[in-house]
Amino acid sequence: MASVRIVNAKKNFGAVKVIRGVDIDIADGEFVVLVGPSGCGKSTLLRMIAGLEEVSGGEIYIGQREVSHLRARDRDIAMVFQNYALYPHMTVSDNMGFALKLKKAGEQEMNDKVARAASILGLENLLERLPRQLSGGQRQRVAMGRAIVRDPQVFLFDEPLSNLDAKLRVQMRGEIRALHRRIGTTTIYVTHDQVEAMTMADKIVVLHDGLVEQIGTPLELYDRPDNLFVAGFIGSPAMNFIDGRIENGEFKAIGGLALPLPEGLPAGKFAGVELVYGIRPEHIRAKADGIQGTVDLVEGTGSEVYAKLDCQGQAIYCLFRERIQIEYQQSLCIGLDPSLVHIFDKATGKRVVV
Amino acid sequence: MISTDRAVPSYRLAPNYRPFVMPALIVVCAVIIFPWAFTVWMSANDWTLGQARTFVGAENYINLALDARFWESLWHTIYYTALAVILPLFLGTIAALIFDEQFPLRGFLRGVFVMPMMATPVAIALVWTMMFHPQLGILNYFLSLVGIEAQGWIYDQATVIPSLVIVEVWQWTPLVMLIVLGGLAAVPREPYESAEIDGANGWQKFRYLTLPMIGPFLMIAVIIRTIDALKSFDIIYAMTQGGPGTASETINIYLYNVAFSYYNIGYASAMAIIFFILIVILSFVLLIVRQCTVWSQAGDGK
Ligand SMILES: Nc1ncnc2c1ncn2[C@@H]1O[C@H](COP(=O)(O)OP(=O)(O)OP(=O)(O)O)[C@@H](O)[C@H]1O
Ligand SMILES: [Mg+2]
Repeated sequence: MASVRIVNAKKNFGAVKVIRGVDIDIADGEFVVLVGPSGCGKSTLLRMIAGLEEVSGGEIYIGQREVSHLRARDRDIAMVFQNYALYPHMTVSDNMGFALKLKKAGEQEMNDKVARAASILGLENLLERLPRQLSGGQRQRVAMGRAIVRDPQVFLFDEPLSNLDAKLRVQMRGEIRALHRRIGTTTIYVTHDQVEAMTMADKIVVLHDGLVEQIGTPLELYDRPDNLFVAGFIGSPAMNFIDGRIENGEFKAIGGLALPLPEGLPAGKFAGVELVYGIRPEHIRAKADGIQGTVDLVEGTGSEVYAKLDCQGQAIYCLFRERIQIEYQQSLCIGLDPSLVHIFDKATGKRVVV
Repeated sequence: MISTDRAVPSYRLAPNYRPFVMPALIVVCAVIIFPWAFTVWMSANDWTLGQARTFVGAENYINLALDARFWESLWHTIYYTALAVILPLFLGTIAALIFDEQFPLRGFLRGVFVMPMMATPVAIALVWTMMFHPQLGILNYFLSLVGIEAQGWIYDQATVIPSLVIVEVWQWTPLVMLIVLGGLAAVPREPYESAEIDGANGWQKFRYLTLPMIGPFLMIAVIIRTIDALKSFDIIYAMTQGGPGTASETINIYLYNVAFSYYNIGYASAMAIIFFILIVILSFVLLIVRQCTVWSQAGDGK
């Protein structure tokens, strides 16, 4: 087990700058999730940590050791690949035992470790199969097993669940967390699925275009997103963004809609500045004397009601956790809690500190 | 409603498709079944061309078992085949690994490398016979440059078979290379990254990943090479006619001599049949071995 420190890491592919200076500190035993949209450089960053991709700048430390220019095999990390990358010609047990075989571990030790990993992952009955005779979920578990038997300093996971069906994904999510609780190895986990990030992480790193947008616990990111990107990325359904300015102590949207401001905002300071008003759909309630709008769209799932309102030309999405009767084109009044409102500077995208 | 029933009226005969198979059947009988049956029949006769033929049953086979020259030629065949399979396999695999890398002029060099495959055996034999010449040949000249004494090559009983194999290797290593290159192209890249992370060095990656993954292709090369080398006739005949003495006489050459120098058709037929049975057995063994090396759906050729 070890901490991981990434200092100003950069990666260029020719002229393309994929990672543009990333700093991350990961404590020993922490479960860190890297999230970001497709193509933002998550896999690349992970491969840099693994040593499969040469760094173009900056340093990477595992424990006290600088590993930036070490070969992958000297870094003592284990990785689960996005596509599993199993050895196609080896049985499940050979796949899992391969690293030990290379280390010239004894037959007995190898069998013990493989058997233990297999029982953790429920692979006991598949040990003699070849990868092509397994389902996607089983392959994914073999890839995990291969990592577990290693007993490495750091686990690296690259979207290991992306090929699974929704149900299996939820189940594996829990199993990976349980595994981490049990063996406590520092883990870096890449995903583009923000639900996975929120449910699994001790700490989330939001990556966008090769830069870190924000680092924090899942709830920090949810409650206080640093910028528009994080605000829009974390949370589902996505946050409402309303463009406008502050006028007379109120937020005036472009279409003229007036919205309440959070307390303590130095309204005067922002007079005339173009701002973005952010409110999460789940923080909007139906309220008799609130803002009036027309229902444009209703989707009920039984447990919640999702609606799109047209309030003076401004689209506002609402998520009601209680069951309320609304009809298409009916008029509905909503209220929002000013303390749950986020204000961003439109020009910089940064959160306006409240 | 108009009836669209087009069933064959019952007064016509049921169609008979047998005549359509006849041409193919006749051809197969004429070119495959008949020659074989005839060979088997000949092998049961003592028959020298131009003389009377007498039925002798298994006598030809018994004579064959007692014929030292036959056993010697069998040994030559095995020796020749073993060398002519293993060396091209080894060199061809190395060549494939080299040509699998990116380097300048790769395509051009690969083209040059493949050329020997396209040459005519008799022309090759001519050129190599000259190169092997003890006094005039270029090979002994090269040896003299590095201070090794002159060799007899194909003119020496001890070195004739390895020398012939050199020609075989020169001509057929490219074929093995092409087969293995195909295999390498089918090898997935990702496992190498896993192996890197699992701590494998270059040799271990080759030993535990590349080699088993190209295994099925190596086996194809082995099968093709084995069958080819066993059948090999033209180069040996053109260069040594089985000589010096009988030092390079393989079964094929001996068979040819018995049939077309001594005109002993019955005896030659018996030899051909034994040889054929040996090849069939060997092919089965190789196919079974090949099955064991198969690891992917694509590789199992089903
Ligand atoms: N070998 C390469 N050469 C050139 N560009 C590359 C290379 N590998 C990745 N890239 C580019 O780097 C960017 C980041 O790729 P990366 O694979 O890290 O994305 P990702 O965040 O993992 O995306 P996904 O969620 O789709 O897996 C992409 O724009 C990609 O096109
Ligand atoms: Mg990726």
